Amino acid sequence: MSRLRELLNQFEEVANSPRKQLDKYLAEGKKVVGTVPVYTPEELIHSMGFVPFGVWGADVEIKDAKAYYPSFICSILQSILELGIHGAYRGLQAIVIPSLCDSLKSLGQNWKYAVKDDILFIPMTYPQNRENEVGRAFTKASYERVKADLENHLQGHFCDQQLQKSLDIYNEHNRLMRQLSLKLSEHDQITAYERRNIFKSAHFMLKEEHNELVAEFLKELDNLEKSTKKTRVITTGILADSPNLLAIFDDNNMTIVGDDIAHESRQYRTDAVNGETALDKLVDKFANMGCCSVLFDKDRKRADLIRDMAKERKADGVVVLMTKFCDPEEFDYVCIKNTLDEAGIANVITEIDRQMVNYEQTKTTLETFKEMLR
Amino acid sequence: MAEEVKKDVKPEKKPIDPNSSKYKLGKIIQDHYREVAEAKERGEKIGWCASNFPQEIFQTLGVKVCYPENQAAAIAARGAGEKMCDIAESDGYSNDICAYARISLAYMKIKDAPEQNMPQPDFLLCCNNICNCMIKWYESISKELNIPLILIDIPFNPDYEVSDAQLAYVKGQFLDAIKQLEEITGKKWDDKKFEEIMAISNRTSRAWLEATSYTKYHPSPLNGFDLLNHMAVAVCARGTVEAAEAFETLVEEYKENVKTGNSTFRGEEKHRIMFEGIACWPHLRVTATGLKSRGMNMVATIYADAFGLLYDNFDELIKCYCNVPNAVSLEKARDNRIKIIEKTDPKGLLVHTNRSCKLWSSFMYEMSRQIGEATDIPVVSFDGDQADPRNFSEAQYDTRVQGLFEIMEENKREAVQ
Ligand code: SF4
Ligand code: SF4
Repeated sequence: MSRLRELLNQFEEVANSPRKQLDKYLAEGKKVVGTVPVYTPEELIHSMGFVPFGVWGADVEIKDAKAYYPSFICSILQSILELGIHGAYRGLQAIVIPSLCDSLKSLGQNWKYAVKDDILFIPMTYPQNRENEVGRAFTKASYERVKADLENHLQGHFCDQQLQKSLDIYNEHNRLMRQLSLKLSEHDQITAYERRNIFKSAHFMLKEEHNELVAEFLKELDNLEKSTKKTRVITTGILADSPNLLAIFDDNNMTIVGDDIAHESRQYRTDAVNGETALDKLVDKFANMGCCSVLFDKDRKRADLIRDMAKERKADGVVVLMTKFCDPEEFDYVCIKNTLDEAGIANVITEIDRQMVNYEQTKTTLETFKEMLR
Repeated sequence: MAEEVKKDVKPEKKPIDPNSSKYKLGKIIQDHYREVAEAKERGEKIGWCASNFPQEIFQTLGVKVCYPENQAAAIAARGAGEKMCDIAESDGYSNDICAYARISLAYMKIKDAPEQNMPQPDFLLCCNNICNCMIKWYESISKELNIPLILIDIPFNPDYEVSDAQLAYVKGQFLDAIKQLEEITGKKWDDKKFEEIMAISNRTSRAWLEATSYTKYHPSPLNGFDLLNHMAVAVCARGTVEAAEAFETLVEEYKENVKTGNSTFRGEEKHRIMFEGIACWPHLRVTATGLKSRGMNMVATIYADAFGLLYDNFDELIKCYCNVPNAVSLEKARDNRIKIIEKTDPKGLLVHTNRSCKLWSSFMYEMSRQIGEATDIPVVSFDGDQADPRNFSEAQYDTRVQGLFEIMEENKREAVQ
């Protein structure tokens, strides 16, 4: 088996068995802290000796979470709560939940009562006016709050130099993931599902470990002949996770040449570089973030970003993967559509859901879209 | 989250007494829309404003604004909710989005709704202490109309008290908003005027809180649904003497009712309930009748306190805006409601699971369970929507209310025995 294939298998293994990963870290004596979408100060958590572990829910049936959430809350949060109730996250010391959308505001509130395991809820409250002085001060205070919770309840230890080390690891990870996205746009031999595995595995691994694998994978990719035969699309949305969904791309010879997916590339756009202390750099990172449905974006620059990405990556079209009941994304959609239409970039929307088993509707939509792009 | 005035004023046999609260409150709303339209005609810059944006800012500056939430409620109550939602949906806005936002986005596009018109905005004043949906909604308008948007971000507070960090953050934005609004409108800030506005706002809030407190009487001298109607005034005119006077008149009338045994609740008050959530404006009559016909009066609502913002100084003012109902933790939200229940003595809780409002509905199940347990009253919920008529089923509503009624009857019988 080629090294490239081995690496792809490894990414797949990690992406599809988070519990195994979690148990591995626990067996190594590490403390693990859950991190909930869309953003959390992972670098800070990492620097204090914890393994930040992505908690984005899973494709499961919702039963007991229904006692807490009405049906019109997104399936990511419903499934996080469902899994929490059933002990799937047992072993986590804490869970850090940001309040970046209305539904997220309630997750921590429900968590406190629904989940009986001893997993501490740590709120991360980000400002929306994040660039100005008061916004930065508030981001810092919220980081301090997370830090204090980790220190007081979980015996974490903070040190600015340690944080700097974590920033270096995370900045490097960002760089590698950006490169990955770019390089995959020239290698359509890597399927949509395989691409997902690389991105998804990042949430279940220490970034220093993921860095090694991705760096090696990128080298292997360089040895692979370029191939751009498939239909080229950009994906945008919160999540592009379901293997059944990704199979539709692969079955229809569509390759993802770039993404604006919250679970994927949105995580890696901004580095923590400027500031006096490492903590200041992390504050500066958040101040510089944007182009995301849950971050105040007055000029809807996100739409321009998608348009520009589609042009740069020579995409044939953009696929909007709308997570059902995600109102931040639903609002953005109109502007994204209008911007793409104006630029003459083909686009299509399809609704997805973690509880969806049958993607017939999406299949038809994407098949028709593909036909149209010919 | 803001509310609206009576939807269909029945033809009066005699003219309304100009000294009555009804006349005064109605006039405030009329004047409000007229004044903002006149300002626009004069060439002044006018804004669209979120219901819980610190009104002290533009009142002090003498800048006129109108409220999309009030407008959306009015449009919905007058029967055009579905039509407007359809327009927004045909533009690509999902029917999952809050119906107030959909109605407003439709209005921004068609610019005419006979049910409730208001002038187009030159700027936007947004505050997300009620929901982040507000941010997305105003972003969309700002982008589409290419007008400035001032956001005062008041994050959801997961803790019980407002932290110093949050206070400083919101304060800083408050001051920044003043500067931005001065630049946009060319008007100048005046500290003395600010003091005056704060004083008037407190006077209005006091009167509002006093008026709403009258539901504590047995029987209550008012139908609690009245409060949902009067809230439009609490939203759009809190910083005006007229509003203070109108609520003071309301207090006098309730006082008189207590003396004479009258009530705006028609019929015998057999049961007292707390109603949780916004009214279903498109189905106001059905929802009110379902209660009235069973002798169930609404005597408690979180809204009573929501617009009673009392403060002595700037810091307290900021804290008031940080503590509005949707911005606080489950525990604080729960305790606030329990306090209201203790004051007003409802014996049942009817919860509107509002399809439009994710934040309001998303920890309501757990919170209402806790409230029910703490106060030992039955809790029943129904599915509805404050402005999209399609998300409400009369049959379900009736069954649920009947269910609550039966438990309350039973409890009452047991209490007597
Ligand atoms: S941003 Fe969307 S998908 Fe994410 S938690 Fe909020 S509603 Fe759900
Ligand atoms: S989402 Fe809820 S709080 Fe926000 S505007 Fe709609 S009804 Fe009001």
